[in-house]
Amino acid sequence: MQKITVAERPGWRDRAAEVGFTFADMGGEPYWDETSAYRFTLRQIEDDIEDPSTELHDMCRQAVAHAVTSEEWMTRLEIPRPHWDFVERSWANGEPELYGRFDLAYDGSGPAKLLEYNADTPTSLYESAAFQWLWFEESRDAGTLGPNTDQFNTIHEALVERWAEIAAQGEDIHFAADRDNPEDFATVEAMAWAAREAGLGAHFTALADIGLSEDGQFADDRDRVIGTLFKLYPWEDMLRDDFAANLQPSQTRFIEPPWKAVLSNKGILPLLWQMFPDHPNLLPAFFAADLDAARRGERGDFADAIALAEPLLRRGHVTKPVFSREGAGVVITENGHETERAPDESYSHHPQVVQALAPLPDFDGFHPVLGAWILGLRCAGLGVREDRTRITHNLSRFKPHFIEG
Amino acid sequence: MTIQTPTPRISAPAARPARKRSRHVALLLAGATMLTLAACEDDKVDAQAFPDLDSCLAAAKEGGLFFTEDDCRTQFAAAEKEHLETAPRYASKELCEQEHGAGACGGDPAAQQNQGGGFSFMPLLVGYMMGSMLSRGGGIFSQPMIRTPNGYSTPNGNQSFASNRGSARVPGNTFTRAPSTIGKAPMTSTQVSQRGGFGRSATSRGVSGTGGGAARSVGG
Repeated sequence: MQKITVAERPGWRDRAAEVGFTFADMGGEPYWDETSAYRFTLRQIEDDIEDPSTELHDMCRQAVAHAVTSEEWMTRLEIPRPHWDFVERSWANGEPELYGRFDLAYDGSGPAKLLEYNADTPTSLYESAAFQWLWFEESRDAGTLGPNTDQFNTIHEALVERWAEIAAQGEDIHFAADRDNPEDFATVEAMAWAAREAGLGAHFTALADIGLSEDGQFADDRDRVIGTLFKLYPWEDMLRDDFAANLQPSQTRFIEPPWKAVLSNKGILPLLWQMFPDHPNLLPAFFAADLDAARRGERGDFADAIALAEPLLRRGHVTKPVFSREGAGVVITENGHETERAPDESYSHHPQVVQALAPLPDFDGFHPVLGAWILGLRCAGLGVREDRTRITHNLSRFKPHFIEG
Repeated sequence: MTIQTPTPRISAPAARPARKRSRHVALLLAGATMLTLAACEDDKVDAQAFPDLDSCLAAAKEGGLFFTEDDCRTQFAAAEKEHLETAPRYASKELCEQEHGAGACGGDPAAQQNQGGGFSFMPLLVGYMMGSMLSRGGGIFSQPMIRTPNGYSTPNGNQSFASNRGSARVPGNTFTRAPSTIGKAPMTSTQVSQRGGFGRSATSRGVSGTGGGAARSVGG
C-alpha cells in the first residue's frame, strides 16, 4: 500500500459537472481528490481486505442471530422494546440484506482492523462504484496508469446482481432519502439505477413526504402505496419516529431489513469481541459502563476480557456513542490523555462504546480509512477516504485507488 | 498451441475472476426529478393480450413472436390461478358490476367452497396478457385480465387497456402481482391520512436544518 502522486485528468471537474457529481468540492475543500491515489498489490486486496471483509460480514450475521433472541443484547443495543419482535421476525424470516460498508484501519501490512460497520445507511456509493471507476478507466487510457493495473471495484455489477436476487422482476421499489442532501441523494440514485438495470421499477420519494394511508400502508408523495422501501435513513431513527408504530403493521418490505438495526450500532463491536475474542480483524471493544464496573472491581461477564485488554486500552482507545454518524461524538484517549475529539457532540447522550485504538497510517499528513463494500454476502469493492485528523468525518477526502503488482 | 494447465485439486478455492472491476457502471446522476421521470418512461416491456387460450395458440403457430404454444398453455394456467388469488372481491353482484360493468361479474368459486359468505362476487376472467422480460434477463410473465367500465385491466389495476387482444409496449409494473392478502397493491392509489412521520432523526440532538429533512448526511 502506497500513496502515489498521479497526474489529474485534465478537465475532470467539467466531467464531474457533466455527469451530475455536484459535490466533488464541498465547503470550499476538495472532496474528490485525484492528485494522488492509493496503490495496493493484488495480494493485499484479496488476502487482507476482500476475504477478511466477507468473513467479517459472516461473523456479523452470527452476531445478529445471537442478539435478536437475547433480551440482554436487545436492551444493550438500545433497540426499543416495542420493536423487538419486528426486528427478530425480519431475521427469522430471512429477509435479505442489500449492502453495507466496513471501515477498516490498514497500512499495507498486518491484518486490517474493523473500526465500525456502516451496515444500514452507508453513503459514498456513487463515488466508489462509478466516479472512481471512471477515473481508473480514463487514467489508464491516458497512460497515467500502467497497462497491468486494475481496481477492486465490482460494486455496480454486484449491486445489480444482488437486486435481481432479492426482488422479483418488475417489482416496484421506492427510494427514500433527504432530497436536499446531494451526497445522500447520489447514493440513492446510484442504487436506483442499479435496481432498474436489474429489471425493477425505481421511484423516488422524499423521506419527509411519505404518508400513511387509511389502510395503514405507507404511501409516496403521489399517494401511491409503497410495497418495498429502500430508505437511506437509519433504523435507530425509524424506530423512534412518529410512524414507528406503523412499521410492522404496514407489511412494507424494508431494505435494509429491520435486523440491520443490530449491526448499524456501535454496540455490535463489544458483541463481536465477546463472540470472536482475539480475531485478527477485530479490536477489543466494551461498553463504557462494563469497563467502569470492571475498574471498580465488580465481577461482571466482561471482567476477564477487560482485564486482558487493559494494557492495550490504556495505551490508546476510542470512545464512541452507540448511535453516531460521520464520526460525531468520537473521542481518542492515549496514555490517559484526550488527544482528539470530534467537534460534533449531537449523539453523545447515548451509551458509549470503548474500542482499543488502531493507529491509522500517516501518508503525507493524511490518515486513510478503507471502506470495504459488502454487496449481499460478499465484499465487492473498495473506496478510500482520508483526513488530516484521525477521526474521519463527512468532509474527509475521497481518494481513488488502483491495483498494481 | 496448447496450454498446459495443472489439474485442479478438489480442495482448491473457487477460481477468482482475473479482473477485479466492473465492465460498466451507471455514471450519470440526474437528480430527483429525472429519476422519477426516467422510471416512468423507460420501464416498458413487449406484451401481448389474448381473450382465451385458443387465440394465443393460433398466434403462436404463426411464429415470430416472443412466446411459444407451450408458453400459451403455461401462462394461461398461471393467469387462471392468479385470477382466483388476486381478483378483487365484492359483497354483492351489484357492487361488483358498478366497478367492472354489467355482466362482467360472477360468483367466487373459492367462497362457495368455504361457505365463507361476505365478499363472494368477483369480476370474470376475460383474457390474459403475457409480457416478455427477456431483454431484462427475465422470462415470460402473465397476468389475468378483468373488465373495467371502459375497458380492461389486470387485477393490480396499474394500467387499463382498451382491448383484451393485440400487442403493445406496456409498463413493466403491469405484470406486478396484486397482493392476495390485505391492503392495496404497491403503486396503486390510496387515501393518505397523515404525512411527515419519518425524518425527525430522533437519535441526534441539535441537528442543523429544519423539519423533516436534516441537512447532514446519514452516511458513515
